[in-house]
Amino acid sequence: MSPSPDETPPLFDISGLHYRYAGAQADALADLDLKVHEGEFVAVVGANGSGKSTLARLLGGLEKPAAARHALACGHDLLVEDGRMAARRDVGVLFQNPENQLVAQCVEDDVAFGLENLAWPAADIGRRVDEMLARFGLEDLRRREPHMLSGGQKQRTALAGVIAVPRRVLVLDEPTAMLDPVGRDEVLRAVREMRDEGLAIVYITQEMDEAAGADRVVALERGTQAYAGDAGGLFADAALVRRLGLGLPAAGELALALAEQGRGLRDLPLTMDELLVALGYAT
Amino acid sequence: MKATIAQYYAGDSLLHRLDPRAKLVAVSALAVALFVRDSFAGLAVYAAAAVLAYLLSGVPLVWFWRAFRPLLWLVALTFVAQVVFAPGEPFFSFGFIHLSWRGLELAAFLSLRLVVLVLVGSVLTLTTPSMALTDGLAWLGRPLRRLRVPTDELALMVTIALRFIPTLLVELDTIMRAQRARGADFRRGGLRERTRSLVPVLVPLFVLSFRRADELALAMEARCYRPGAVRTRLHPLRAGWADAALLVAAAIVIAAGLLV
Amino acid sequence: MSGLEAIAGAAPDKPGGPGAAGSAGMSLAGEAVSFSYEEARAPVPALCDVSFELRAGGSLALMGASGSGKSTLLQVVRGLDAPESGAVLLDGADPSDPRYTALQREVGLVFQAPERQLFASTARDDVAFGPRRLGWPDEQVTSAVATALDLVGLPPARFAERHPYALSGGEQRRLALAGVLAMRPRLLLLDEPFVSLDPGTRRQLVGILERLKAAGVTLLLATHDVDLAWALCDEILVLGEGRVAAAGPWDFSTAGGRLLAANRLREPFFVELWRRLGRDTHRAPRTAAQAAQALR
Repeated sequence: MSPSPDETPPLFDISGLHYRYAGAQADALADLDLKVHEGEFVAVVGANGSGKSTLARLLGGLEKPAAARHALACGHDLLVEDGRMAARRDVGVLFQNPENQLVAQCVEDDVAFGLENLAWPAADIGRRVDEMLARFGLEDLRRREPHMLSGGQKQRTALAGVIAVPRRVLVLDEPTAMLDPVGRDEVLRAVREMRDEGLAIVYITQEMDEAAGADRVVALERGTQAYAGDAGGLFADAALVRRLGLGLPAAGELALALAEQGRGLRDLPLTMDELLVALGYAT
Repeated sequence: MKATIAQYYAGDSLLHRLDPRAKLVAVSALAVALFVRDSFAGLAVYAAAAVLAYLLSGVPLVWFWRAFRPLLWLVALTFVAQVVFAPGEPFFSFGFIHLSWRGLELAAFLSLRLVVLVLVGSVLTLTTPSMALTDGLAWLGRPLRRLRVPTDELALMVTIALRFIPTLLVELDTIMRAQRARGADFRRGGLRERTRSLVPVLVPLFVLSFRRADELALAMEARCYRPGAVRTRLHPLRAGWADAALLVAAAIVIAAGLLV
Repeated sequence: MSGLEAIAGAAPDKPGGPGAAGSAGMSLAGEAVSFSYEEARAPVPALCDVSFELRAGGSLALMGASGSGKSTLLQVVRGLDAPESGAVLLDGADPSDPRYTALQREVGLVFQAPERQLFASTARDDVAFGPRRLGWPDEQVTSAVATALDLVGLPPARFAERHPYALSGGEQRRLALAGVLAMRPRLLLLDEPFVSLDPGTRRQLVGILERLKAAGVTLLLATHDVDLAWALCDEILVLGEGRVAAAGPWDFSTAGGRLLAANRLREPFFVELWRRLGRDTHRAPRTAAQAAQALR
């Protein structure tokens, strides 16, 4: 599906991408295709070690692809140094471990870090930081040291620092994996807000119920794309889901177990409500 | 965790609001004067200034005590060494120990000097966040850039190192606990055995630190950090009249101490 | 022959040797345990008057928001921190009992992200670390290592000589678990064992824990995954700011539900399903297979 000329070009336009870590035997990513358009919410799933984090690094212009037919991020060519540098401004990347992303000794300095690097004037940085702190509910913590923050607060600080630089697309690498349910909700709420504002998001996750809510799902298997399409299509292929080391949301697991015992449901439910409908208890 | 290095007490005193460069200059000058001047009268002037600074800082005494505690043995050692080995006519001898009034005087002087020095230094670190300290140092070190010393990058490195000290201490504690839960014993055995027993702690600590450094570098690059590029600051250093006043006051105190 | 051998199908152990404590799990009780950290610089949780019981061979889910004291309680139970007041009873013995130190060695603690503590240059050596520190004879160490590796699904023939850091994330997690299991714990404490794992590895880990349970090992599982806690544990202990908010059988009555919500926990999926289907929540299934059986 090539974009028609009047359509805006995709934010990520990747084709035939390869990447291999120094000294590794095999490609971490091989022949990967990915297109993400304005306002889209794309989930990336796959087992531990399937190449999801490597993909995040490449999309953010943080690693040099070994080869690609083409690799464009917000119009910048990821195959050349200048393109990667430019991509770093437009593509925000949030990593899994909030602890390893906080550079400064207090929250407000950390949120300011990206803008300081872009040499914004101090007054503009101040305004933007205040805006970010208010948006992520961090005003009362502005002078707090990172090691005195909860996991959710740390990750919100890191997210505020990523978003402080105006971005066109956001890549989130398992941003909730190391958080407790409270912290997870805090971060998910912030992500949902950004999505509602129309920011395109590539969301890497191990949580199948989070993936189920995406516009599109890409599943990786040892560095190659094993599936791309809507969430329902992925989960409907139970054999593929198992092979990829993934799972179904609980409602889907139950439907699968029912099918094994001879009571197949017509549609594959992915949420509690869909399950109740499928079981005939609600409409 | 017990990270007392450069511990900052969040406050809003006059001293907190001063420019770190002014504080660094004043404190360094005072420290030099402390070492140059060797009379009790001079020391008394500097001690009075240090106490005044403490009172102005609004930092609870217990915070000073925390900064002092690890240095107590140093003060004690200075005192004992001076008492025992100092010259002068002994009024008491036992074996190699000779106590003299001159020795006692010298011991008291040197210990007191150390205490005043630590007090002055603590006022600086307790009222100045380490980020501001490193910024101040980087600014004062600017002439070194002519010699191609990357002062700004060094300052950022120091800031990051300070930021990660508590993190690494927690990490170290966790790894030691985990290996203890598997039967490791770090307190028993001779030097060799003890060194060997550290392998299960140091290997993971190094591996994790490198991974941390790698991830941190990535996160910095993701936020557009480029070594050598021009950066601005959220809180640029700004000196004012109060800072000039501090420098004048410091000059007067130092002169007074040298002249009395 | 210990329970672990039985399930891993490895060579039987010599009876009476160290660690051959038999298949019975260890019982655990906390009696008004209180603990606080010396310097409250970091937001570290304390424990206040924590009392609970866990029968031998039972399984208890330890839940509560982060900072509620879950990890601290595990450290205290393992004896890495001594309670300021109160006591941890192991098999009914209190710390004044001469057997207590020996009993503590039969308590295994799997830390959060335990793969971070791997250090040896082969999987075999890493797993052997604990048993060697216990002073077991070589042949017993060898068999304990093989058993543990088999049990976590890393057959020694393929994995024993691998470098721990060359394994995948999921394999590293299981290797670290093997390092604790090789010491033949009769009580296993786990601190958030499912965090950062993909669903497939999570399923493998659940399978391993189910087999340990079946072998009679007592489980104390700190997790914030309420569905996995419900699938694995008979009872629940909820901590809130260092105090016991609830202890005992799962309670899904109105009051119980409120209590879960107050501690930022939700109902397990299958319990909510049963409630919405108008069925008795106390007979709610623990797994998808059980639920399907009941709904067929």
